[in-house]
Amino acid sequence: MYKLTLCLKYLLKRGLAYFATAGVALCVFMMLVAVSVLNGFVAKIERAAKGLFGDVVVSTASLSGVGYYDEFIGRLKREVPQVAGASPFILTYGILQIPGQPDFRRPVQVTGIRLPERAAVSDFEEGLFVQKGSAHPTWDPPTAEVLRRLAEEYRKVEAIRSRLGQAAGPAGMNDEQQNLWNRLDNALWFQARAIEDLRSAGARDMRIELLNAEINAADQRGDEKRRKELTERLAEEQRRMIHAPADRVILGLGIPGLSFRTPDGQTIRVIGPGQNVSLSIIPFGRALGSAEITPVTRTFTVIDDCSTDVSSIDSEVVYVPFETLQRLNNMAEERSAADPNVVVRPARCSQIHVKVAPQWSRGAKLLEVNRLIERCWIGFERDYAARNLEVASTPVMVETWRQRQIKLVNQIESQRTLMVIILSVISFVAVLLIFVIFYVIVVQKTRDIGVLKAVGASGQGVAAIFLAYGAAIGLVGSLLGVIGACEFVWNINPIHDWVARTFGFEVWSRETFMFEKIPNEVGLTTAVRVVLGAVLAGVTGALLPAVLAARKQPVEALRYE
Amino acid sequence: MSETAPPAVEVRAVHKSYHLGRTSLHVLRGLGFAVPTGHFVAVVGASGSGKSTLLHVVGLLDRPDRGQVLLGGVDTADLSARQRNLRRCHEIGFVFQFYHLLPELNVLQNTLLPAKVASSAVQWLARRRQQTARALEVLESMGLADRIRHRPKELSGGERQRVAIARALMNRPKLLLADEPTGNLDSRTGRQIMKVLREAGRQTGATVLMVTHDADLAGQADRVLHMVDGRIAG
Repeated sequence: MYKLTLCLKYLLKRGLAYFATAGVALCVFMMLVAVSVLNGFVAKIERAAKGLFGDVVVSTASLSGVGYYDEFIGRLKREVPQVAGASPFILTYGILQIPGQPDFRRPVQVTGIRLPERAAVSDFEEGLFVQKGSAHPTWDPPTAEVLRRLAEEYRKVEAIRSRLGQAAGPAGMNDEQQNLWNRLDNALWFQARAIEDLRSAGARDMRIELLNAEINAADQRGDEKRRKELTERLAEEQRRMIHAPADRVILGLGIPGLSFRTPDGQTIRVIGPGQNVSLSIIPFGRALGSAEITPVTRTFTVIDDCSTDVSSIDSEVVYVPFETLQRLNNMAEERSAADPNVVVRPARCSQIHVKVAPQWSRGAKLLEVNRLIERCWIGFERDYAARNLEVASTPVMVETWRQRQIKLVNQIESQRTLMVIILSVISFVAVLLIFVIFYVIVVQKTRDIGVLKAVGASGQGVAAIFLAYGAAIGLVGSLLGVIGACEFVWNINPIHDWVARTFGFEVWSRETFMFEKIPNEVGLTTAVRVVLGAVLAGVTGALLPAVLAARKQPVEALRYE
Repeated sequence: MSETAPPAVEVRAVHKSYHLGRTSLHVLRGLGFAVPTGHFVAVVGASGSGKSTLLHVVGLLDRPDRGQVLLGGVDTADLSARQRNLRRCHEIGFVFQFYHLLPELNVLQNTLLPAKVASSAVQWLARRRQQTARALEVLESMGLADRIRHRPKELSGGERQRVAIARALMNRPKLLLADEPTGNLDSRTGRQIMKVLREAGRQTGATVLMVTHDADLAGQADRVLHMVDGRIAG
């Protein structure tokens, strides 16, 4: 019992112990912050990759794609019970434009997805603005719901603008504030127009119908002037019409020019749901000579936007209906001109994204499912080849999300290992600090050790006091470090924004690190490991002084001055 | 007390030397004596005559090079390190010239220290109330009832020595060893401490072996052993 009593007394009464505790807390803090952020990176890559591609991706080496994909998905679900869902996916490239603003042109990746099927293979719906979390996201969400979200967004932007006005005070705005005010004003103008367009969609459709009829009549009359006038009005109406579900698009939330970020990290939509954009797509789906490649331009109505939290994706990707993109990208089914019953080329997709049941979605189990899917594909391809049907003109790869991202994941994991090694070396200093402090304490306590032995304490008992003392310093220090690290990591984004605002120094570059936000989760396993490591470090640092204390001869200890 | 009962302490031809580099210091040179149970014996002698070394050997803090030390008739040479620790804990109480109280502990906690050394955590939980009552009783008998929450640095020299005596008496030892307990005190306080020691010995029936320079205090003992050059003279 005396061991516990003295250990607690020494912990609370010895000022030197506070330095050792602070050293341990600091090392634990650094270790936990670094490991948490880097682990968060890997987790974010996993979430983003799975969110985009599912767990396993079937793809070809070229842009010509995979045929008979629905048949393969059917076979996959029958033969591989671990598969929870699968969906085809098209990827091509295009130029994004805003009708009426000819100077805005932005290269984008155009992806074709099926809704609501997409929700079964990824967590795409989690990043949506209007249909966030919907189990059945659609290209035709209720207008009332779109209007409700747009109205919320409008009120949010208005509130930001109002706060900006109040912050400026009577002295007026500086250049930065004025610039932000103008951008907010511009966003509000676009949003207000989108709300109006959505509300008056029915009336506009009727006006377009009437204008078309009038143009026909003018044509028949040969009234060229009237026809030109009506055509211009029709073009204006069409710029603002709400297109049918097949011609709708979901934008990545982060495409430069379509949204922007305020200095305090709020994302403001300028072009969003209810507005039209046009896409010029390069149809790479068929093997064509370079002279034959002609971009196809089409106008789409934005119906939602999506954030994956991966800035490199959100700033470049737009999502359009699968079948629409299939046609625009020359991947639709081709039939013989002579005999329409004969399929010359099947409809194709770029990739097939497969979702695996959660209990099979990690580590070696996922690799096992990957092998089963690969085997299923080989059988599928062989069976179709036997029927003289080509499912893919180039080799097909079946890869897990991790295999597709292996370069990136390896890079981050190497950084994490390097960081842990560097911080472990730094933490060794804490062990040395504890050793020196304990050595001093043991020397200072020499007579007390003699007294303890005089009243019957054993050498092991005396050693146990100092070992427990070391462990207690490790435990208390590491708990303080864990609390500090949790507070820091949980608030790392506001802290970063505050540092950027106050000192004009941005540590985190979204472009460099790909993600919108710094990972802000602390893993329980990581925290427990670090705490155990710190306790072990405390005991290690105290070990030699404890042995010295245990071996002190009581007579010499009592005579020590 | 039966005449056949073994003496509380019996020292037979004990030798003890200390080695400082190449120099050897022969401190105890074959001394021998016996102290019957319950006696108060004073050991006097000049500085360096080996008084403290004798006390350490008898108190099992040190081992003799030769000779025997018997406590209650048991040859301590046969005891393992663990048994020596247990004897020191349960049967021997030490009082030092410089008190040697633990500065982090208050008066009550210092007094309870031997009881805590004697108990595991589980045993302590079971005996805590009983042991605290015992400590309070001893402290009260030392006139320290109102000082139990004070730390050693807040006490006078005499009070500190009384706490040290209370600590020594805590586990009801059979043998009380006092190494110049009044050496650091003024003569009046020294006399009070001497009185406390005598009273403690009388009340508990413990055998007391006290090293002192003070001939007056030694005169109050049942017997006085004079040490000269590591031997008992006369």
